[in-house]
Amino acid sequence: MLVDFNFRIIFEYLPLFLTGLRSTCFIAVVSIALALATGIIACACRISGVKAIKYPAIAYIEIIRSTPLLVQIYFLYFGLPTLGLRVPELQTGILALMLNSGAYIAEIIRAGITSVDDGQLEAGTASGLNYFQRMRFIILPQALGVTIPPLLGQNIVLVKDSALLSLISVMELTRCGQTMTSERFMPAEAFFTVAFFYMCIYFCLKALADWSQRKLIFREAY
Amino acid sequence: MIEFKNVNKWFGKLHVLNNIDLKISKGEVLVICGPSGSGKSTLIRCINRLEKIQKGEIIVNNTPVHDKHTNLTKLRAQIGFVFQQFHLYPHMTVLQNVMLAPVNVKKLAKSEAEKIALEKLEQVGLTEKSSAYPAQLSGGQQQRVAIARGLTMSPEIMLFDEPTSALDPEMIGEVLDVMVNLVSEGMTMCVVTHEMGFAKKVAHRVLFMDEGKIVETGTPDDFFDNPKTDRAAEFISKILTH
Ligand SMILES: Nc1ncnc2c1ncn2[C@@H]1O[C@H](COP(=O)(O)OP(=O)(O)OP(=O)(O)O)[C@@H](O)[C@H]1O
Ligand SMILES: [Mg+2]
Repeated sequence: MLVDFNFRIIFEYLPLFLTGLRSTCFIAVVSIALALATGIIACACRISGVKAIKYPAIAYIEIIRSTPLLVQIYFLYFGLPTLGLRVPELQTGILALMLNSGAYIAEIIRAGITSVDDGQLEAGTASGLNYFQRMRFIILPQALGVTIPPLLGQNIVLVKDSALLSLISVMELTRCGQTMTSERFMPAEAFFTVAFFYMCIYFCLKALADWSQRKLIFREAY
Repeated sequence: MIEFKNVNKWFGKLHVLNNIDLKISKGEVLVICGPSGSGKSTLIRCINRLEKIQKGEIIVNNTPVHDKHTNLTKLRAQIGFVFQQFHLYPHMTVLQNVMLAPVNVKKLAKSEAEKIALEKLEQVGLTEKSSAYPAQLSGGQQQRVAIARGLTMSPEIMLFDEPTSALDPEMIGEVLDVMVNLVSEGMTMCVVTHEMGFAKKVAHRVLFMDEGKIVETGTPDDFFDNPKTDRAAEFISKILTH
């Protein structure tokens, strides 16, 4: 079996795969950054006492969490043009990943924040710290510790989910596998290579998360 | 120094503070006692606006506490608060716990804040624990750190909400000793506690609350030995047999 495995063709297609890898990394980095920002904002709205921003945030989070990502991608891909918005595939895909992950990240951050004991906040208030100082010195350092592992998990999910963008013809890693398959009909080689590159991304992300967790957990307050 | 004028507070329908009138002068040590749910915590939490009031006025050092133009940061810097459950920040060392407010609220230089923090830790007898984390300390030690944390802002008033209730009996003494020391320095103090020994030794006045009202006030000896009201007498007999 392994004798049949054609390594030569993998090398022949390597430039294509590297383009795909670059594209997937680009999509991941941009989507993760945007999703983090979306998640932080959505979470801030979600825990706010102001109903006018709290309920829209709840609606957004629940809609995203109750529907499949592929449906969300198609919804944007086919739906935006009917609203008269012509958005290229890549941007549509990034938007979908951002909105999807943002909702999950919002809930992850909220869990981290609510895990910090209210009494400590009162102690902070009583000693004159303002809202942002309480967030910065009391809540966030403790919330980060419990938030990083699930956040890492969510980012890994996002990278793997980005494979779905191949279905709206974004030229990323999985799409490269499909291209090679259709040109040469060697799906085993194609998707072996694709899987290998996803694993590389995974281990890089994991190393990054381990490092940041060591750096951030119980970081000194000043 | 602290004045309550006809203060009323409700939690929904529950009338927690009912027409409270009270004056606490500079250097006075007031002990507040009363049955559970009588509003003791709520009363002292209103002094630094951890709770809002719906009617009446509280004045601390000529500042109306519940006025919306009041600079809360400045007000709270003058008032130290010690909680029953300590509420230390578990991710910071003892020294960092104590230094947090002076550095960030008073904007002191780190070196200066550290100097004051170490002084206060010495005052509560915990200099050697300054680099420990709260989880490494006993309950009594944690509460002493919490007191030092309240003191680093050089407050004029210290509020204590059942500071020894969460402690094992053998640790109560060390915390009370620190508080007795504060009294001898002339600190103005409001202490919610059922520690009769402490009250008799240092309190200038005892205030007995029930169902949101001040039922009785008096000197500690008068109050504990000759309570004027039946409710106070009943309460005292309960804490004695306890
Ligand atoms: N945040 C709140 N919301 C609603 N009700 C509250 C709240 N805080 C306190 N209460 C109620 O107000 C009443 C007075 O509470 P408070 O904590 O002041 O009593 P306390 O005298 O300190 O009692 P304890 O000795 O148990 O500490 C209680 O009946 C309590 O259930
Ligand atoms: Mg209480």
